Amino acid sequence: MRIGVFICKCGTNIANTVDTEAVARKALEYPDVVYATDYMYTCSEPGQEEIREAIIKNRLQGVVVAACTPHMHEPTFRRAVEKAGLNRYMFEQANIREHVSWVNKDRESNTIKAMDLVHMAVEKLRLNQPLFSSKVPINKRVLVIGGGIAGIQAAMDCSDGGLDVVMVERETTIGGKMAKLDKTFPTIDCSSCILGPKMVDISQKENISLHAYSEIESVSGYIGNFEVKIRKKATYVDWNACTGCGECTQKCPSKKTYDKFNEGLGSTTAINIPFPQAIPKRARINAESCLYLTKGKCKKCEKVCPADAIRFDMEDEIITEDVGAIVVATGYDMFDYSVYGEYGGGRYPDVITSLQYERILSASGPYGGHIVRPSDGKEPRNIVFLSCVGSRDASVGRPYCSGVCCMYIAKQAIITRDHLPDCNCYVSYMDIRSPGKNYDEFIRRAQEEYGINYIRGRVGKIYPKDDRLIVQGVDTLMGVQMDIEADLVVLATGLEASEGARELAEKLRISYDQYGWYMESHPKLRPVETNTAGVYLAGVCQGPKDIPASVAQGSAAAAKVQILFSRDTIETDPQVALVNERVCISCGKCIEVCPFGAIQWKTLRDGSQKAEVLPTVCQGCGLCNATCPPKAVQLQHCTDDQILAEVNAVCE
Amino acid sequence: MPMDEKTKTLQEDFEKNFADLELVIGWETGFDRLHATPVFIRQPSELGKLVWNPLCSQNLSGYLAKNLDASIQEDGKKIGICVKGCDSRSLVALIQENFIDRDRLYIVGIPCEGTVDLRRLMHLKPSLENVRKVDIEGDEAVVETDQETLRFPIENVLARKCLRCLYPNPVIYDTMIGTPLKPRISEDKLYSAVEKFDTSDRKQRLAFWKTEFNRCIRCYACRNACPLCVCQDNCIAESRKPKWLTQRDGIREKFLFHMIHGLHLAGRCTECGE
Repeated sequence: MRIGVFICKCGTNIANTVDTEAVARKALEYPDVVYATDYMYTCSEPGQEEIREAIIKNRLQGVVVAACTPHMHEPTFRRAVEKAGLNRYMFEQANIREHVSWVNKDRESNTIKAMDLVHMAVEKLRLNQPLFSSKVPINKRVLVIGGGIAGIQAAMDCSDGGLDVVMVERETTIGGKMAKLDKTFPTIDCSSCILGPKMVDISQKENISLHAYSEIESVSGYIGNFEVKIRKKATYVDWNACTGCGECTQKCPSKKTYDKFNEGLGSTTAINIPFPQAIPKRARINAESCLYLTKGKCKKCEKVCPADAIRFDMEDEIITEDVGAIVVATGYDMFDYSVYGEYGGGRYPDVITSLQYERILSASGPYGGHIVRPSDGKEPRNIVFLSCVGSRDASVGRPYCSGVCCMYIAKQAIITRDHLPDCNCYVSYMDIRSPGKNYDEFIRRAQEEYGINYIRGRVGKIYPKDDRLIVQGVDTLMGVQMDIEADLVVLATGLEASEGARELAEKLRISYDQYGWYMESHPKLRPVETNTAGVYLAGVCQGPKDIPASVAQGSAAAAKVQILFSRDTIETDPQVALVNERVCISCGKCIEVCPFGAIQWKTLRDGSQKAEVLPTVCQGCGLCNATCPPKAVQLQHCTDDQILAEVNAVCE
Repeated sequence: MPMDEKTKTLQEDFEKNFADLELVIGWETGFDRLHATPVFIRQPSELGKLVWNPLCSQNLSGYLAKNLDASIQEDGKKIGICVKGCDSRSLVALIQENFIDRDRLYIVGIPCEGTVDLRRLMHLKPSLENVRKVDIEGDEAVVETDQETLRFPIENVLARKCLRCLYPNPVIYDTMIGTPLKPRISEDKLYSAVEKFDTSDRKQRLAFWKTEFNRCIRCYACRNACPLCVCQDNCIAESRKPKWLTQRDGIREKFLFHMIHGLHLAGRCTECGE
């Protein structure tokens, strides 16, 4: 092989602490190297031109560039060698910037290390083989997981763009947390009035198929060709027959069922439709509280159902959907307020969460929109709002700001003053965070126009006195102790990753941070992509954000799907595993360890079974290669021999 | 049950079940009565060759993973195999790793009082010849020759692996010949030698292994005997591509070979001692 070596100075980035000329001179001593030079900016247009010219003039068969990380410019240089007629995989890049010049100042040792890295790259290149990618068609259907506002937006944008959409929602209705909200900041417009039409659109669009009360069972495949198994959980009601008339919910005698939609304020019936605007508006029987399913007696709903839709023998069903891209919009859950024992959440009925207060405010809520205390139904005269309950507190494992609480406290306090002008509202806060369009003005309005008392300082303790609650804390601006007799305390609970977020991430093979928020591919430049190609993020599942930001991300994720689907095929990466069938001993260990399900059995003509890699599914992780006892599986472009050659070069 | 009787029961059992079998893997008498050797029986008339005695040391389960394809003659019929306690554990490992289907096997398990190490025996009695029978009676190994009957304490003639055997009884079988036995050693004493070795420092240990591995001639007999060394002709030690090892002599290559061997068996070895 005739190899050319190009050492980049990267301006002064590399040349300051590496003698690039000496590295180039040394490179000429390595086997097969016939040409070596250094250059100011190898990645620049003239730099690439120099590579092309050198390839032609010196009849080079392989190229090594020692420069920055391959993450930055490997594609650039691969294109450059390809333009000169070489296969793009007859190229190796040694990283002498991030791995050498940026991490050490000693010129002498840096130069030696750079030489070693170039030597390794040359030895690897000598064993490189030309590789060719193939093209696979893209299935232009998109799966949206989660039917909250972010998922609805993503699904609508994809649908409007002409794509077939499959939406999977865990609850019996879409709408997510936004459906539970009374009004939205900073405009105080009715939440269900702006969300409702979008929910109806989802149900009416012909190219959207909605699987409510369903969860993702497993995901296999790869970008452009995912196979998703969906568990349609048993509702005990045939949704094709059910008309959502609600007769059954009137007659159901099991009236003590936990009301999830109303956050446990009041109770509901075992057969239930969460709220009048539910999409799909279908009843479900809660198997844990249904008298027939628990005790074998009742069947009242079956008797009254005019559509004969009740099916007590229904079982979970698993269906398969093939899609080309996945948008994850699984939202969040609220922090468990009982963690702060000193606030008494869960012990005192009048210490409630902010989402429970939303249900109290809502006209379709358990109290018909009248602000009353859960304990005795009396109108409160003093309400205290506590901010940062489960936010910005490392002691409960939630050091992050939930981003929305300051704003929703102001909104709830304003609505409270609108409903009950004589009710005093106090807000105990740490800092006020309102960095959005018209947000800070909104807070000022709450303080100045609505006379809401903002007290800076943390509450230390809440305890009952007669039928009221004493909220004890400190006013740090006044430097005095704060004691407020409250009738109702609203804890502004923070946001946390949705229940089951981690398990879903593992099925999707995407990563999550220590709190369970899904990881974007780049915190600034790739905010809706994940590191798994073809899987995108929208809404709070990626981290706390408000409705406008969730909607924007939903649209952004939809745009990414449209970009992907604007092509008919995708090129596969040929840097994948390959089985040498003559060496394979059919132990099947590679099949067991492959995290992508990319290896399967293949029966040869003599009846023997050998492992076979599906190149389109393989991600090139190399686990199979490490596991294979006789090393029959080799990772192309990173074979054992190539690694051994590099090790030998560096250990010489 | 005396040895002769066990051999007879073994032969009778296979005769009774041979209609369902395509092959029986067992032991037969070798070139003299002091040696036993594996035997592959495909005809019921040959079942009389089968023997069971303290010389049947070979672990036969290894054949199943290695050359099974060659042994397949009739579909649907099973393979009969004789196993001692230690062999049965190798068999379990092979079944767990899907090298052989449990349903393909008819396993005859034999509780084992230990196998005789011929080298130790010959060392004690170099002039031993015309042997008629070797047996174990309690704490003694009994060797009958044409001339005399010799008795040796078992700790002097049993294979070392058998003296520290925790599993004299087969852990998986369809038929058991004889009655289960008690292990000679308790679990807590099993690794006393290893524990003692572990207390020496790294340099000493490295020196020990270097000395030991330097004796290796890379004949690969250890690999060929091991029932779980399933790569056989595709062993990475002999592969040119990828080339992990050269054919060069020297401690470097020998050491690497044994490291690979060790790593490939880590978590799989059943301590059959083969």
